[in-house]
Amino acid sequence: MLAPTSHPWAAGDSLGAYLTKRGVSRRDFLTFCGEMTAMLGLSSALTPKVAAALTAVKRPSVIWLQLQECTGCVESVLRTAEPTIGDLVLDVISLDYQHTLMAAAGHAVEKALADTIAANKGQYVLLVTGSVPTKDDGIYCTIAGRTARDILEEAAADAAAIIAIGACAHWGSVQAARPNPTGAVGVAEIIKNKPVVNVTGCPPIGDVVTATVVHFLTFGRVPDLDPDGRPMFAYGSRIHDQCPRRAHYDAGQYVEAFDDEGARKGWCLYHVGCKGPATFSPCPIFQWNTRTSWPIGAGHPCIGCTERGFWDTMAPFYGRLPDVGGFPVERTADTIGLGLAVGATAGVAAHAIATGIHQARARRKLPVVDIDKKEESGHGQD
Amino acid sequence: MSAPRRPTAPAVKALESRKRFALSHKVAPPKGNYRWVYLWEWPIRTMHWIAVLCIVTLATTGFYIGRPYFMTSGEASSHYLMGWVRFIHFAAAGVLVATAVIRFYWLFAGNQYERWPALFPVRPRDWVNLVKQIKFYLLITPEEAPTYLGHNPLQQLSYTAMYGVALVQVLTGFAMYGQSNPGGFFYATTDWIVRLFGGIQPVHFVHHVLTWWFIIFVPFHLYLAIRADHMERTGTISSIISGGRFVNKDIDYVDSDIV
Ligand code: HEM
Ligand code: SF4
Repeated sequence: MLAPTSHPWAAGDSLGAYLTKRGVSRRDFLTFCGEMTAMLGLSSALTPKVAAALTAVKRPSVIWLQLQECTGCVESVLRTAEPTIGDLVLDVISLDYQHTLMAAAGHAVEKALADTIAANKGQYVLLVTGSVPTKDDGIYCTIAGRTARDILEEAAADAAAIIAIGACAHWGSVQAARPNPTGAVGVAEIIKNKPVVNVTGCPPIGDVVTATVVHFLTFGRVPDLDPDGRPMFAYGSRIHDQCPRRAHYDAGQYVEAFDDEGARKGWCLYHVGCKGPATFSPCPIFQWNTRTSWPIGAGHPCIGCTERGFWDTMAPFYGRLPDVGGFPVERTADTIGLGLAVGATAGVAAHAIATGIHQARARRKLPVVDIDKKEESGHGQD
Repeated sequence: MSAPRRPTAPAVKALESRKRFALSHKVAPPKGNYRWVYLWEWPIRTMHWIAVLCIVTLATTGFYIGRPYFMTSGEASSHYLMGWVRFIHFAAAGVLVATAVIRFYWLFAGNQYERWPALFPVRPRDWVNLVKQIKFYLLITPEEAPTYLGHNPLQQLSYTAMYGVALVQVLTGFAMYGQSNPGGFFYATTDWIVRLFGGIQPVHFVHHVLTWWFIIFVPFHLYLAIRADHMERTGTISSIISGGRFVNKDIDYVDSDIV
């Protein structure tokens, strides 16, 4: 990407003026607006409106907090093969505070954060990657001596919109997997008095972040969200229902091992643990790295990274159903089920034998009768 | 009925030798004053057999969905195997739900053996009889089974549990079904289940595991029905076909009074 500080977007400049300065043609810009409009699930008739709104938009003040995380989200969002207009919009976003990308260091950085908050109360967009550890007073993630929780609460208090990027900011991700030693939680569990947009995934697709920001810049509000706070335009349907391998699923054609015939033919990965049927995400459409590829496209089953709790609930990643925990030997539900069914059958057979033996014994105790003598039927009147 | 004749000496000897092979004794046919009681009205019997068909279909197709045990080859466009299997699963699920609705109605409209109080062993004597019934099956006191016309407390518990499991199966089934259409009717009405289980994967898991519950139920159910039919000689198995069985007039049945 182009370094954010090399061509600064001056305060007061519109985005249109800034992009012209950066050598972006009107045609490219309109193409970008068209893509964003489509991505947001809006009618193409709205493209001129999006373009007009974006052209006129003044430099937004944006703070990007990185808390307990691995920086993978930053990579996913900012790194592409070549800089796109989306990147430029995101360059803009990284301007005020982004401690990994900022040129400044030390106290200057912390001052930038405080100044931005003070100067733009109620106006800035807050992006957050990473979770917030809550155990032991949050000591497991501190920046400049302050806990992640402290920094987040302060920055969130005056934000116009809060966008939680990635699975960590959504619900805690890998550090929140059982047993969650640091008590990691997502942004929405700390900031309860404001809506939090969860652009989730491990990492999320950069385009979804861009589109969410574009929506905010264009309409002045965040897009429609699902019950888990995820933008509907991106997380509104399952991977399984948009997957290019779906025809193989319906036909009954499955990869059984990663080097088999089915794998070479691009069959469905259901059998090797694909969580596409349990995962809401736009991966098949948006893809990664300027639409180069995505996991299922590359032959790897989906691991369900856009779903809350996926490290626990989607595991094992190469098996369809969760393992039964607590057993020393790894036994799947079916082995146990089959064992019980066989056991039940054997049990009733044993019981039948025991009953037979018991009856035989009981009969021996009965007085001897002439069994060959014809007896009356027991039914009816005696 | 005339008293058995005193056996002659050689006959006694023959009988004595036979006695050692007790299994070869012929069992005397039941004696006494019999009457036929009508227990299961036609809606219950019809529902029973429809449920059997549905559950067999659902378990078979369900396990295929869970682990597709055979595959097709060639062009994907010329096959729709999983598509049809899922279609049959959902269709059978619909039939099962329809019968469940009628069964629910029949909890209030049926006779005393079919109504909802007959499903719950809540009276104090039921608990006493439950213990007796368990002792009976464990062959501790195999001669002293409590006598019920309809279901004994142990049966009440296990059949009511079956209804409960079927309900969970239906709920989890529709929760998975709703996923393909977020915001749709099934999605909206089953969202709480997905939350309750902490994700859709645990829902799949529960749905899958409970299928084994149905399968494990089968040997128990068949065995106990055949056993009762064989030992009590009251035509128990026939009662799910004809609706009734023959019971001894002289026996005081525990549940002849339940409402
Ligand atoms: C006795 C009743 C039922 C049995 C034994 C049964 C069995 C199964 C089994 C074993 C699976 C595979 C689970 C997995 O591995 O993910 C399954 C899947 C499923 N069942 Fe059932 N099921 C029953 C009733 C229902 C009902 C009432 C519905 C309601 C619509 C339903 C809907 C589904 C759905 C949606 C799936 C997942 C299909 C998919 O992943 O595409 N089932 N069932
Ligand atoms: S590869 Fe995964 S998402 Fe695609 S059709 Fe198969 S199971 Fe569904």
